[in-house]
Amino acid sequence: MAEGIRIDNLVKTYGQGDTAVHALRGVNMSVAKGEVVGLIGPSGSGKSTLLKCLGAVIEPTSGRMTIGDRVIYDDGWKVGDLRALRRDLIGFIFQAPYLIPFLDVTDNVALLPMLAGKPNAVARKEARDLLEALDVAHRAAAMPSQLSGGEQQRVAIARALVNRPPVILADEPTAPLDGVRALAVVDMLNTMARQFDTAIIIVTHDEKIIPTFRRLYNIRDGVTIEELQLEASPARRT
Amino acid sequence: MISLAGRDILHGWGKFVLTGVGLGLLIGVTLSMAGVYRGMIDDAQALLDNSGADLWVVQKDTLGPYAEPSSLNQDTERPIRAMAGVDRAAGVTYLTMQIAHEGKDVRVMVVGAEVAEPGEPGQPPHLIAGRRIVQGHYEAVGDVKTGFAIDDEVTVRRNTYRIVGLTSRMVSSGGDPMLFLSLKDAQEAQFEKDADAIVRQRARNASSPLLNPPGNPAVAEAVNAAQASSTNVNAVLVTVVPGADAEEVAATIRRWQRVTVYTRAQMEEILIEKMIANSARQIGMFLVILAIVSAAIVAFIIYTMTIGKIREIAVLKLIGTCNRTIAGMILQQALGLGLIGFAVGKIAATFWAPFFPKYVLLLPADSLRGFFAVMAICALASLLAIHAALKVDPAEAIGG
Repeated sequence: MAEGIRIDNLVKTYGQGDTAVHALRGVNMSVAKGEVVGLIGPSGSGKSTLLKCLGAVIEPTSGRMTIGDRVIYDDGWKVGDLRALRRDLIGFIFQAPYLIPFLDVTDNVALLPMLAGKPNAVARKEARDLLEALDVAHRAAAMPSQLSGGEQQRVAIARALVNRPPVILADEPTAPLDGVRALAVVDMLNTMARQFDTAIIIVTHDEKIIPTFRRLYNIRDGVTIEELQLEASPARRT
Repeated sequence: MISLAGRDILHGWGKFVLTGVGLGLLIGVTLSMAGVYRGMIDDAQALLDNSGADLWVVQKDTLGPYAEPSSLNQDTERPIRAMAGVDRAAGVTYLTMQIAHEGKDVRVMVVGAEVAEPGEPGQPPHLIAGRRIVQGHYEAVGDVKTGFAIDDEVTVRRNTYRIVGLTSRMVSSGGDPMLFLSLKDAQEAQFEKDADAIVRQRARNASSPLLNPPGNPAVAEAVNAAQASSTNVNAVLVTVVPGADAEEVAATIRRWQRVTVYTRAQMEEILIEKMIANSARQIGMFLVILAIVSAAIVAFIIYTMTIGKIREIAVLKLIGTCNRTIAGMILQQALGLGLIGFAVGKIAATFWAPFFPKYVLLLPADSLRGFFAVMAICALASLLAIHAALKVDPAEAIGG
């Protein structure tokens, strides 16, 4: 399987000298296109720092990061416009949906292709198609405040997918959901990953969904330890 | 690209419009203040226009008759009439006073003008009802703002006058409506002493051997008669013949008479740059303070609105929205607020202007200037919120 995202020996240190905090101490990770992996670890282990580095929100101290065939970081950013990088190559799903409250469902999703320069009509068509695929098209004209929690999360997933990014970073996407809905969201992400050939990394503490991952990265003290979830059911899960 | 600012405004339009209305009332006050200043200038110009004069002849070395007391003998007008370039010359008196009418006090400027011939300088140039003064005594023409009606009787000092005509926009530089009397009546109102003063003066005259020489009572009578009345005027208003140069005529009058002569431009300067200069500065200070208050309010509102959207701004930045788009959204909201505020302010000022006791003149040019000032203030006020938004770290959208 082709690689969606790969990081090698990623280091992030906050501060210098005696006060330096080593958040990441040489993290290695690889997620294939169409694959969903979990990222777990206790509080303070470096999950959020890793997610921010992967999302090109903070700059790592050293290491190498590639998305597809494109090297985006190699002891320094290799792309000039990090906003465009985030917009075009990385999708984000947050713990809460964080939809833009003053845009309706369609425009919440269509905003990204619009930001990428697509005409409004084309962007809205893409958004509607995706909402259809995620079974939330009937709420296309609704405002976020009129949606249930599950519907909001599906719209957030549509927003993350709409620019067809090779990588999606999901930060605790099932935290506010009950067990059934949480599993439904993970199923949906698995389906979308395969359908759109996207590598998805899900940061989670959610005991309900951890068993569903075929591959799981456990991060401790800023170093990832890969753990295989052999008992995960491919038929039901990945 | 959709308008993020427009969508945000539509989403919370009630709050936005109410805020705009509040700001608009403040802008309405600001526009009204500017209107009050314009009204003062217009009143001053109306005073000069309506006097019908090209030149104002006043007591030497005074700024009279509007800015300083001025007293001339009425006979001054006769030699002036004979001078080259002079068309008409007529004495006038001006006296601001409070008169009682139907249980209310009305502040008026009593104007005494020569009434023998129509069109003499100093007479009201137009009437909206009734007729001009044709009798030498006890008739008056009032500005409609006095509240007088035709055939009303008003008392000025010791005499009662019947309103025979009404005119409009005849006000003093202070905005007081004018009440026109014949020159003789106005002189009596202005210069005649009260009975007690006359009695005391006569007693003094009687005790003076110079003014009351023994064996010649006619001298004392003549002195008493001269002291009891006045033939003084505050100014002589002069019109020049068509084609004559007012400045040259003024120079001729100055050469032959011990008086001060002002042209229209000089009198306008006295009224506008000397008389209302302090009021103008006062209003200017108010305008500056109101502009600062408006800016502070807009800045606070836009800043609060922006701070309330920090998480959304972080998400927008995280998903690739550029700073320009976010700054544009905040700027457009500030300008939108200014637009609503200006519209409300303009409408409010237009509606309440007629209820002001003094003339409020809302000029389209001032409104246009006000509009651009409001937009500039709103744009400046949005800088604080834009700064706050641009400082938002997209990482705030990611937990941890």
